[in-house]
Amino acid sequence: MARRTTTLPMRDRIGSITSGTLAWIYAALLIVPFYYFIVSSFKDNEQIFESPLSLPTTWDLSNFVTAIDQADLWLAIANSVLTTLAALVLTLVLALPASFALARARGRAGKVVEGVFALGFLIPSFAALFPTFLLAAALGLFHTRTFVVFLLPATALPLSIVILTSFMRTIPRELEEAASMDGATSLQVLRQVYLPICIPGIATVLLLNFLSFWNAYLYPLILIGPDTAQRTIQVALPTLKVDAGTDYGVLMAGTLFTLLPVYLVYTVLQRQMQRALLSGAVKG
Amino acid sequence: MTHDVSRRAVLKAVFGSAIATPLLASCGALVPASSGPGSISVHTQLSGAVAGAQVFSDVVAAYRRRTGRIVAQLKNGSDLPIVFETSTLAGKQADVAIVNMMGRTLGWTDAGATIPVTDLLDAWDLRDKILPEAVAEWTDDEGRLRAFPFTRTNWPVSFNTGLLEEAGVEVPTTSDELIAVADALRSKGIGPVTVGGSDWSGQKLFLQILQGFVSQEEARTVFSTGKLSESAGAVAGVEHFVMLRDAGVFVDDVQGYTSDSELTQFNTRKAAIVPAMSSALALVPNERAKEVTVGGWPVPSSGGVLAHPSVIKSYNGHGIWISENGADKLDLIKPFVQDLYSDEVTDAFVLGSGRDMNRVTDTVSQDFPLVAQASRLTDDDVTPVMLPDLLIPDSVFEPMIKVTAMAYGSSASAARIVDAFEKSYDAA
Repeated sequence: MARRTTTLPMRDRIGSITSGTLAWIYAALLIVPFYYFIVSSFKDNEQIFESPLSLPTTWDLSNFVTAIDQADLWLAIANSVLTTLAALVLTLVLALPASFALARARGRAGKVVEGVFALGFLIPSFAALFPTFLLAAALGLFHTRTFVVFLLPATALPLSIVILTSFMRTIPRELEEAASMDGATSLQVLRQVYLPICIPGIATVLLLNFLSFWNAYLYPLILIGPDTAQRTIQVALPTLKVDAGTDYGVLMAGTLFTLLPVYLVYTVLQRQMQRALLSGAVKG
Repeated sequence: MTHDVSRRAVLKAVFGSAIATPLLASCGALVPASSGPGSISVHTQLSGAVAGAQVFSDVVAAYRRRTGRIVAQLKNGSDLPIVFETSTLAGKQADVAIVNMMGRTLGWTDAGATIPVTDLLDAWDLRDKILPEAVAEWTDDEGRLRAFPFTRTNWPVSFNTGLLEEAGVEVPTTSDELIAVADALRSKGIGPVTVGGSDWSGQKLFLQILQGFVSQEEARTVFSTGKLSESAGAVAGVEHFVMLRDAGVFVDDVQGYTSDSELTQFNTRKAAIVPAMSSALALVPNERAKEVTVGGWPVPSSGGVLAHPSVIKSYNGHGIWISENGADKLDLIKPFVQDLYSDEVTDAFVLGSGRDMNRVTDTVSQDFPLVAQASRLTDDDVTPVMLPDLLIPDSVFEPMIKVTAMAYGSSASAARIVDAFEKSYDAA
């Protein structure tokens, strides 16, 4: 290995060092804020402002306990998990067959429907807030999680369908034709031919939508409301901030509860996505 | 093989969860606390990390245990007004809201979102229990009491005497003394006055400094119209502010600070002087409070109208508002509100959270020494000035804060500040 390095031309060595340096800088950009969050959650305000990047003097969990108590965080986390998971499942249940149909469509109707889905990108979320609120009130679902579980997939469908449709279009039609000749129904073709190959697309959709659903604030604030039994973690967290004299250690501890699932899901889905990509490449 | 497992896992997850979703989302352990017959719902800002939040929760729990009546708590912070208003549009607002009187809430009585409680004050035997000044402040121009005044706010100035001693100076009471103190502190590397120049806390201090040159009657006119240039006193106040700023009274880069960072600077001994409201004083750590004394903002050395250093004194803290829905449940709300004004609950708030209450009481905070000091300030020590929030139109608030943030910057002249201040009222 060392011999190979020494034989690299000067230009390649400079390129290798530059790219390595940039990679480390990029990694630091991601890690430093996370490190700051973690160490700050074990400190008081004085320590946070006096020595922001130093390790805490004690690894006392009192800030976490305070955050949980003050903002009813366990309930809020449970609500966020419930809402996010249900919305993700519903998104996939709707987006997969829709994308399957669009990917197989050859006529103009398919293009029109795909265009309609793409129009969803043009609707600013703020503009939709008031009509959505009226709809929730009219349906009797205002101040319920149920409405948000149905709403979030609606906001996510345009992007999900665009991603999944483009993935499905890469699948050779011969595979589908072979399955059909073996007597497979459309549903079986979707399940046994398209889905396995589309795992990278599904993982991508899950990841993007998880970030969007988990971090949603305005719609859950207005539509789910202030009931501690229903509100999500993003709505609960701001109650840890006060007009004057916020305890930033407690706020950071509370914020970690919302950051960790994001890191966790990203790590898990990223691995699955890479594995599925390799697997798909071999099969394809 | 890998594909088989992945496919099964995906399908199981998708279809299993599809069945479970509506079940989980509509029932289960996380049952909504919204009120039904025989219960009331209370939407409160006394929640989270706010001083008094835990006391309020304990009070509600004790009330439930004692009476067997259900009180559902709905919690928000500063976003309570917008959530309450949208809930009102859907007819699902809480029966009671506990929130302060500023901005959006000023329009609730007129809009019919909440009912006036003028008649209930006597009917529920609360008039003698609430400070008359508080009732006056919470009564609108048409004589309607908007809500029951619950908590109130003092806005003294805190001085770290330990840092002042290090600089060899004492607590200043005039503007000349303040400038000398600032010079001495700076020479020791200590920040003088810290304030949230970029937000409402800086705005409050700016308006407090102006009130050093105008009578309270004139201040009412100036703050409700915004016509600074038509008041010689107000213009003198702005010039005085600029003079103090240019003399280095405020910490460096003060226009970038917030109400949070001002208190943190003070608590970490980076600055020696901070104007902070009493609920924030309750959050000053005890070890810091030992070396702090509270007083007022130094009077102008010449040309001012105040006898003593000024303190913003307001009866505008949290109020107990009754919504349209609550109007149908007055028989259930009455005992709850009466309980909130009981001696026991008042003592619990004063002693347990350091809150200043609008309830008539002799109880003084013991574990919150700065709050106690502030409550002991008399008219011989300080001159009270108004909190102008009720006079400033709602739509002017944000534009005005931009103007005061600009005023804390080093380059803004008095004339430019006056001009921008008046323009901020154009949106009203």
